[in-house]
Parts: sequence; structure tokens; C-alpha cells
Amino acid sequence: MPFTKINGKMVEAQVLPGQKVFSQRGAMLAYSGQVTFTPNMAGGQGGLMSMIGRRVANEDTPLMTVEGQGRVMFGHGGHNVHVIDLAGDTLYVEADRLLAFDGTLQQSTMFMGSQGGVMGMVRGQVTGQGLFTTQLSGQGSVAVMAHGGVIELPITPQQPVHVDPQAYVAHRGQVQNKLSTALGWRDMVGRGSGEAFQLELSGHGAVYVQASEEKL
Amino acid sequence: MSYPPQPPPYGQPGYPPQQGYPPQQGYPPQQGYPPQQGYPPPQGGYPPPQPQQYGGPQAPLPQTAVGGPVVHDAHTLPANDNVNPYAFSVDLNGQYFLQKGKMVAYYGNIQFHGIGHGPLDQLVGRSFHSPLHAADWVVAEGQGRMILADRAFDLNSYDLEDGNLTVRSGNLLAFDPSLSLKQSIIPGFLTLIGTGKFVAASNGPVHFVEPPVRVDPQALVGWADCPSPCHHYDHSYMRGVLGGIRQLTGLGGVSGEEHQFEFIGAGQVLLQSSEKLMAEINTGHVPNEAGIPGAGAPSHTPQQYGGQQLPNVNIPGLGNLGDLGRRFGL
Repeated sequence: MPFTKINGKMVEAQVLPGQKVFSQRGAMLAYSGQVTFTPNMAGGQGGLMSMIGRRVANEDTPLMTVEGQGRVMFGHGGHNVHVIDLAGDTLYVEADRLLAFDGTLQQSTMFMGSQGGVMGMVRGQVTGQGLFTTQLSGQGSVAVMAHGGVIELPITPQQPVHVDPQAYVAHRGQVQNKLSTALGWRDMVGRGSGEAFQLELSGHGAVYVQASEEKL
Repeated sequence: MSYPPQPPPYGQPGYPPQQGYPPQQGYPPQQGYPPQQGYPPPQGGYPPPQPQQYGGPQAPLPQTAVGGPVVHDAHTLPANDNVNPYAFSVDLNGQYFLQKGKMVAYYGNIQFHGIGHGPLDQLVGRSFHSPLHAADWVVAEGQGRMILADRAFDLNSYDLEDGNLTVRSGNLLAFDPSLSLKQSIIPGFLTLIGTGKFVAASNGPVHFVEPPVRVDPQALVGWADCPSPCHHYDHSYMRGVLGGIRQLTGLGGVSGEEHQFEFIGAGQVLLQSSEKLMAEINTGHVPNEAGIPGAGAPSHTPQQYGGQQLPNVNIPGLGNLGDLGRRFGL
């Protein structure tokens, strides 16, 4: 539904009665109409166990529930915003990057090791995702923050995509990812190219890449 | 080449002289080189691989206007317009007022003086109306083109026609002497009155909204024509048993959005798309008299408002336990 991009750093959400929007706390810039902002102790959806899971996984970005009727503008920290529409597929994104998302989406926490075992965990460390990441699935929109503009690169089975782990923002779809290393003796003596680790994504889907190597 | 001239296929260096040539009216027939749009009409055997000594990597010539770096000189710099989102070029002929330290480059013959020196003393009365904050301003005098910028923030110019606009003091960069600058009743804001142009910075592009609207205090850049904003507090979730516990203990955190500025009436509200404020400049004391808001209070210093004002959402109720509070969901 409801995110309209106003400019590169701001989105507007249409909030309707009975429909929730979750957003990062403190990310509201302005609103008109009757809208309330309630801190969400659970940090998202699901019951108590999901909440505990998120806290253990450190994927518990402070969220607030936005309800009511009106239009709300979101933006945070001067970061660029990218709106991703999900139509039944799954988005994997770090919780810190979530600016706002539809209440209709299912939010859950994923263990990085479940995608590629030990290498998945190493990958999480390198990309700064940690051991866990957040997944959102269902029908709805997500507004994701990035440092610098976001480009979407499609992933097809014929064409795997290599991404700098620091520039990685999110990915969606049926994607296998693995960390490919190009470590050589040059890296050992400190004369590497600085691109020793790359994230290789293959399968069906898309990866979102930011135009910067600065993490949020 | 077929006629009428088609836009050449991408990457093909065939020109019909593009529209946009000559670049500007009254432009002296190019001595030097306007590397911007408009190339000399093709001479025979073009393109020879020319060694290019002008700005930037040797992009094929036709694309310089599209992609590569644009090289400006004193004539091609825009007059009173943005060079890019972060730099503004003033076509100076006479005087212009700017905040200290916002000029990054200029062409021509321009002098910069602090206000209050010698003959500029009268300006305080004419344009600033208060001797107390005028020290933060500089008068640029002379002829030329002057480029303003401020830490890569987005700059915008605004035209006032017999209007008024109130803007956060740190965001105002420069203004035309035809405008007059006054302290707003609201501390930390300045009001511009009259007809003319001014330049203001914002963290992220500026978005205009019409009242009725409630605005995050940090996202507010300014407002035009509206009556003064008022505070709006949103404590409805503090009700009930859970809310009571939350209020007493701080457990559960705050949404960070309990307080907004509310605007009503006709006008425009200017928002920046980020909650990071720009450092505020001193707007000066107000007279210590009865009935004056902020009177007697020490004029607020930039530390009080400026710098990093992002509400620290990670530390809701428990003071300085750092990340612990968040970890345990407090």
C-alpha cells in the first residue's frame, strides 16, 4: 500500500483506520490528520517469544506503531530512502535499516547460519548483519534506509551478482548467497585491493545496493 | 546526415549544433572555451582525438553536457540560482548579506566586511533591526559571482514578495538587502520580511506542506505566512494501567514522537527530510522586560540546541545505562 516517495530522503504514508504501519521510533517528520504513535515494546510483530527472539538476536530496532487516519511523513538521519513493494515474496533486511513498513507484512528473525551454515555466519559478520537478520514477507511495502542512493540489481540463475558486503542493503526472493573471498598474498602483506570479500548472490530475486560503503 | 537533424544515436559524435547553442545571450563569442553545452560547429574531420585539458576525465565531447563534470566560468555560472543542489551562485551587484563562513568562492571584485564597521553601521538599523545578532553576519560588497555553500547541505533560494517567512536561525545562509531580518518571538528563529530573495540550507531537500499539519520539532525548517505554531503533546498512550507503569518507570520506552509543533491557518510549512538539525546561530538577547518570551534568559548557545539532536531512542527511561536498557527491553 501506502508509501509515496516525496524526495530522495522522505516518504509519505497513508494511514487508514484499522491498518497499522510500523516505523522506526523518532522517524516521523510531520503528519496531518488524527494519527497516534505508540512505542512498540515488542519491537514488531508476533508474540512474546518473537520479542525475546529479536532481543537475543539484536534485531530489535525500536519501533513504534502508527495508527489512525491521515498522512504521515517519515525520514531519518538524512539517509536516502528506498521503497520496496513486496507481493508475496520475502525481503531480508537488517532491522536498523527499516524506516517503516506495512503492518500487513509478516516480520520474523532469521538465523544467518540457516542460509549457508558456518559460512553464512561469517558472511553475517562481514556484512555487518551479525548472526541474525530480519525477514519481511507478505503483501505490502517497506521503506528501507541507505547511505546514498539505492540501486536494484536483478539476480537470475544465469547471472549471479557480486556485491561489496559494505554496500549491501537488502535482498529479496529465492536467493542463495555466499561469501567469496579473493584473498591472496597481497592481502596478507597489507597491499590488498580492499575488495577481498565479496558477496555472491545467485538464484531468483534482486539485491539492493547502496552507493556508499558506509554502514548506517 | 539526414534532415531534420535527429538526436544522434547514443555515443555517436555527430552533431548538428545542439539547441542551447550559443549558451547564453550576450555571451562573448567564445574566447576561452565554454565546455558546457554548445560546441563549436563541427569542423572538417571531427572528431580528432583531441587532448583535452579541461576539467575531468576525457569524456567524449558530446557527453560533457549530459554526464561529466560541468566547468563553469564567471559567465556561465548561474545568476542567483543553484549551481547544484549544494551550491548557490549569487550574481552580486551591490550588497548581499551572508552568514559568516558560507562563501566558498567568488569571481570579481568583492569585499567582505563585518557588520557594524564604519559606514556599514547603518545597515544594522536598516536591515537587521537588532545590534545583538548582527555580528554573525557579513556584508559582501562589489560586483561578481559568489558561490555559497554550507557543509554540503541542500541549499534552496526563496523569493518573498511582500511576504514574511520565519526560519530556523542556523538554516538561513544569505539574504538580499531588500529584505529585513528580525528576531522572531520564538527563540532560535529569525523572520524575514519584505520582497527579495534569500538562501536557506536544509539537511535533505525541503518539502512544503500546508496546514493543518503537525511537525516533528527537528524536521521544521521554517514557515511562511502561518501564525505561530503551538506545541502539541501526544500522551494518549500514557493512559491506562500499562501506560501508568510506563510513565512512572519509563519502562517500555517512548515513541520519540510525543511532542510536535502544530500549524494551523493558511500558509506553508517548510520541512527538511531529516531530523538532524543544523547548528544554530545566536539570535541575540531580547530585552529583559516583562511580557517578552525568553526575556532575561541567557541567549541560547549552539550547544543547547545545535549539534546532534536526534532523540536518543536507544536509551528510553533508564538514563545512562547505555545499550543495556534496550537489550532488556526497558
